[in-house]
Amino acid sequence: MFWRKQRAAIERFHPLHRALVLEGGFSVSLRRDDWEPVIQSLAGHAQHVRRRKWALPVRAQRVMVPLLRVLAADMRRDGVLSVAADMRGPDAPGKAGPQHDLPARRPVLSVKQWYTVDPWLRMRAELRDGSVLELSVTERRRNRRIRKRNPRGKIKIKQKSKSVQVVQVVRRLPKDAAVRRPGSPPPPWVRVRVKQGSRLVIRATAKVAGEQAEEQLTEGILHVTTEPFRWTPPGAAVRGAQ
Amino acid sequence: MTSQVNRCTVTTGFFVLGRCGRAAVAACGQCGRPVCAEHATGALCPECALAQGYAPQDPHDPAWVRGYRRRHYERSSQTYNDAYWYSSFDEYDRGAFNPGDEYSYGGGDFDDDGMDFVDS
Ligand SMILES: [Zn+2]
Ligand SMILES: [Zn+2]
Repeated sequence: MFWRKQRAAIERFHPLHRALVLEGGFSVSLRRDDWEPVIQSLAGHAQHVRRRKWALPVRAQRVMVPLLRVLAADMRRDGVLSVAADMRGPDAPGKAGPQHDLPARRPVLSVKQWYTVDPWLRMRAELRDGSVLELSVTERRRNRRIRKRNPRGKIKIKQKSKSVQVVQVVRRLPKDAAVRRPGSPPPPWVRVRVKQGSRLVIRATAKVAGEQAEEQLTEGILHVTTEPFRWTPPGAAVRGAQ
Repeated sequence: MTSQVNRCTVTTGFFVLGRCGRAAVAACGQCGRPVCAEHATGALCPECALAQGYAPQDPHDPAWVRGYRRRHYERSSQTYNDAYWYSSFDEYDRGAFNPGDEYSYGGGDFDDDGMDFVDS
């Protein structure tokens, strides 16, 4: 039987690791420390599995794992960290919206345009200062399919796409948390909304370029995530919690 | 002065900073801060080990987040043009010797058994 060893290795992976490989995602809530075996299982992937069909989505290791590490660092061991990951990609069924025609002019015969919306990562973490952080990353892709006649009369079809990653971060602070408005506004590409109430809610939204290396994407996500924490800078946050 | 158990003053967390607070078993050979068994990497505290270039690049490594943290505060304070953001982190991180400093984050950090997932 082909791939017997690799298949057996997948059977030994952590169930969530296996779900990523075979189904392209999972949705689960675990206590902080129960994520460690997941991360360790993912770490061993390349060592055991080489078949391309069973490759781990790059974003799982380069985006989800670092974000798990960062969120877990701010949690108590009994805090719950929930993750809904769908790494099947924007071409998976159900993610494309309706197609419509754009005006075309010769030599272009027709242009069809449609959007795909791919909410591929959602995380929710109960942090140790009593605040709750929710983070989501959605890839929005504009697709164009262009039919065109070349000078020799042949019909060519070309597809173009352009994508952005929409990052949204919401932090719900505990009651009566000590808060101070940051000394500088966020950069223009980060939108912030603050809702006053018994619990302050800070929401930061940003679009980061869609086509970039995963490491940059992770950094971009963490930069957006930074805004809600600037309202409780390190020293202030500790005093507020006492 | 009342006598107290020496507590590990290593900074924990990423956005929500705290101090380790476990019983110290040694002092860092470089900076002298008290460190617990978990945080003694060789003869050094994690910060001094990082400063000597011992920074894991792989996020699967539990020690990765600590090295990434300082870099993140540097870069994000540039992104937000907010020097205070970095300096408040830096002061917190270096202010480990202040007497009367809170040790743990509302008790959350001070776990009794050794296995701590978030720290190296
Ligand atoms: Zn040291
Ligand atoms: Zn310690």
